[in-house]
Amino acid sequence: MKVFEFDKVSRGYGAGDVLSRISFGVDRGEVIGLLGRNGAGKTTLIHLVMGMLAPREGEVKVFGLDPRREAVEVKRRIGYVAEDQELPDFLKVREVIAMNRQLFEGWDDSMARDLINRFELPPDRKIKDLSRGQARQVALLCAVSHRPELLILDEPAGGLDPAARRQFLETSIRLLNETGTTILFSSHHMGDVERMASRLIMIHDHQKWIDSDLDAIREGFSLALVPADAGVDGERLLSLPSCLCARRHGDLFHAVYELDPDTCCKSLRKELAVETIQCRSLGLEEMFIELAGRES
Amino acid sequence: MHYIVEAGTNHQAGLPRMEDDRMLFYVDPHSGVPIFRQLMDQVKLSIASGVLKPGDELPSIRSLSVPLGVNPMTISKAYNLLVHDEILERRPGKPLVVADLGQAEIADRRLDQLRENLRQSVALVRQLEIDEADAIKLYRELLAETEPGEKGVK
Repeated sequence: MKVFEFDKVSRGYGAGDVLSRISFGVDRGEVIGLLGRNGAGKTTLIHLVMGMLAPREGEVKVFGLDPRREAVEVKRRIGYVAEDQELPDFLKVREVIAMNRQLFEGWDDSMARDLINRFELPPDRKIKDLSRGQARQVALLCAVSHRPELLILDEPAGGLDPAARRQFLETSIRLLNETGTTILFSSHHMGDVERMASRLIMIHDHQKWIDSDLDAIREGFSLALVPADAGVDGERLLSLPSCLCARRHGDLFHAVYELDPDTCCKSLRKELAVETIQCRSLGLEEMFIELAGRES
Repeated sequence: MHYIVEAGTNHQAGLPRMEDDRMLFYVDPHSGVPIFRQLMDQVKLSIASGVLKPGDELPSIRSLSVPLGVNPMTISKAYNLLVHDEILERRPGKPLVVADLGQAEIADRRLDQLRENLRQSVALVRQLEIDEADAIKLYRELLAETEPGEKGVK
């Protein structure tokens, strides 16, 4: 059974769709990196999994259940840190932890204690007196200490310094190691995505633009550089099979193809009869900019 | 050469170290090379350079994944491919060990390492349309600048 599943799910606010007919399923132990520009619909997708939003069309299942109709059963098994996590700021750290301990079965006291020490959290300080980073660490502690089957992190790196980001990463990996937890996280930090994700889903123009094993992306995509004076235009590049995007950068056209660089180079040179075309592999960050930064 | 990072130069405490306190693994998520390949290359390099010897145990996937900050499946993938290539050996219920490669085999592997490395330079030679004779001359010059046994280029 899939940990969660989207079947032709659409959802918007007001007239248009933010997400349009999105389908995919996630298996146990997968780590999904969710990418997209600001406003692409990453948080909407996460809210649909959490049952905080209902789909306009289609169906969302989490652990085979409807996350809105069986909200308690589903949430019990999920750990969630929101992008703008709000904890009751009049409570002390130890009171927030005690409250979560009451809410979740299977709370692991030794894990919670270990994280308090690791994050160096002051148990008697009120939430409102914590730094932003510390507040997020309390939220993370509460999200993982019941050893959830599914951990959802919306922009976990947002506003954190590199050391605190690293702790988020290490805590998630520990949970993955020890509990086999499935993880869904959105991030703009490509380094974190490269380290953590086993699979990448990129949302663009309301659609799932890319949904692929991370290693397949790194080895199966290439950037073609075509001199602008070679008599080939963007339309022509886009019309070739497996082209994801093409646009002009000064004297060159940049085009991304779902082919390894060698094959890409050979077939483009042959197809377009331009010997000066060059192809190379591209990192995730570069790919994101080529794809998402294009004019739509 | 960053596959061995001297102690103290890397803030990632707790990384596995060799007995002489050198770190074995290092991951650069931005290099464009998949992380499982980076790990495979580092194991191969460590064997070729003698840092890892036949019979040496590799760190467990769990113990490596947290300090490296890498998905354990990625490490598992690297290890599995190295077992498949008969570079590592799996023994039931025990840590993975470096396979017993003969001396000739190790010499071959060293050349394989160099070949892989040089491929990038060759690609650059073609891209920049550098004359082959010039490229070879430059390689000889760089070799002449260092003594055998010396590590690293001046």
